Amino acid sequence: MDNKPRGTVKVFGGTPLIIICVIAIALLAILPMTGVITSNGQRYLLKIFLYCALGIAWNLMSGYTGMTSLGQQSFIGIAGYALCVVTTTYHLGYAMGFFVGAVIAGVISLGLAVILFRMRGMYFAIATWVVAEALKTWFTSWSYVNMGGGMSVTVSPYPRTGSIYYMALVLVIAAFIVVYFLLKSKIGLGLTAMRDDADAASSVGVNIFKSKLLCFVICAVITAVAGAIFYLNKGTIYPSAGFDIGWTVSIVFIVIIGGIGTMLGPILGAFIYVILEETLSHYPGWSNIILGIIAILVILFLPDGIIGTLQKKLNFEIFSQRRFSESKAKKKIAAKSE
Amino acid sequence: MDNILTFKNVNAGYGRVQILNDLSFEVKKGDVYGVIGPNGCGKTTMFNALIGLIIPTQGEITFNGQNVTKMPANARCQLGIGRTYQVPRPFEGMSVFENVLVAAVHGAKCSEHEGREVALEALKLTSLYEKREIRAGELTLLDRKRMEIARALGTKPQLLLLDEVAAGLTEAEVQDVMKMVADLKAANYSIVWIEHVIQTMVESTDVLMCMAEGHNLLVGEPREVMNSKLVEEVYLGVEEDE
Repeated sequence: MDNKPRGTVKVFGGTPLIIICVIAIALLAILPMTGVITSNGQRYLLKIFLYCALGIAWNLMSGYTGMTSLGQQSFIGIAGYALCVVTTTYHLGYAMGFFVGAVIAGVISLGLAVILFRMRGMYFAIATWVVAEALKTWFTSWSYVNMGGGMSVTVSPYPRTGSIYYMALVLVIAAFIVVYFLLKSKIGLGLTAMRDDADAASSVGVNIFKSKLLCFVICAVITAVAGAIFYLNKGTIYPSAGFDIGWTVSIVFIVIIGGIGTMLGPILGAFIYVILEETLSHYPGWSNIILGIIAILVILFLPDGIIGTLQKKLNFEIFSQRRFSESKAKKKIAAKSE
Repeated sequence: MDNILTFKNVNAGYGRVQILNDLSFEVKKGDVYGVIGPNGCGKTTMFNALIGLIIPTQGEITFNGQNVTKMPANARCQLGIGRTYQVPRPFEGMSVFENVLVAAVHGAKCSEHEGREVALEALKLTSLYEKREIRAGELTLLDRKRMEIARALGTKPQLLLLDEVAAGLTEAEVQDVMKMVADLKAANYSIVWIEHVIQTMVESTDVLMCMAEGHNLLVGEPREVMNSKLVEEVYLGVEEDE
């Protein structure tokens, strides 16, 4: 079987991969009940899950459509505030808060898309950041949300870290599945082409605007739900924290370290980032410098990120969206007849 | 409608630089329409305006009787305009097969299942079938050029735009390309073909247009155009200046 021409990609997938995923998810689901990990450990994992979801979403948008948004904190802030307003001002449950936050983020991203999609590259990146900064300023002087004084989440009984842990786990799984199947679809085929050359993709019929719009909105909604879960866990939000560029800096770090345009990259990146951040938090002042140095080293020596470089070197892909000219059924029949 | 394509007084360019200058011409259905002209005369810009990468500032482009002047690129492709790029632009991370599959699924609106057949057909026509699972970034120049054609064919075009597909190839490879074009003409494709290899153009085209400074200098029977004084001046005049 090894007479395949050079450059043919091997794919690791199918039943073994599904079994590994199920085991991993089951372990993560059982972990809090076993008492093996402390509540601190639970908190770390919760944080990792949220950053996974944020990374998966940003990777879809930036890795495939080339839209490098630096304004993801807009949706995190909006969702955090939606949660506070819904639970505190309107005395509704946090589930309603999540829902309202996601819907508002979706609608706003639709509106923004019309304006922002006229820009490309650097200009798009800066414009998204400006939008987030504008929101921060607006929320700081908006009496409805208590201006700069911040708001808190009011629900009783307040969910314990254990329950929030499961919400975050479900979000990661959902985000992963949505992105995976989107990329597996016809639209995903076009997105992969766009990733390599957007002009050429449009001249073979790929609708660039529609594809970008879909990714932008999906990304906004996932980001919003992650933000809402984060602030449910935290309890209070301030404009300066909710709309902080630091959110996007972390997300970009995660996706680039892990491997942009790969399915596993953001997940690995989130683990690395949270572990580094928690370890380095004992050395305040140094932590950002060290994270920065790591980012520079990775970009210099592993420009495709850890997963991306591994996949290229070993010529295999995991959670691949590759299409092969022969379907699996045909291959099996061919193998049997030989 | 006899004409598959008409340009009527088209002006177009990039930003403030105007390249196409009152360009008009017509392509009949089923013809192989050759385009020659010195470097920088606007041949590739004409293709960019035709597929919708740039929008003309003035004039009208009609495809199959339908005004497509301001239509976006992907919609034109779905109407049946397929192009190749002079410098091949493969989707490098995708396999050869996937490159053509994108064209079939998005350009020809096939399902992935139907698209598979269309793609394999296009790959056979362009002699890339054996290399279908290779990553496109690893192809040689000749194969990249072939893949440009395969991808254009994947969109099931009625009008095929070939941008210097023979440039940089050896004599034998050029013969291959000429045979491929003859096969495509026999299969009822209309073709607009930009090329610098004059011999190829004289032998393989039905009509030849010579462009200069963004407009249509001369159109006619290929041999007549090649022998005309005007064309000689445009091509050789440049050399005399140097």
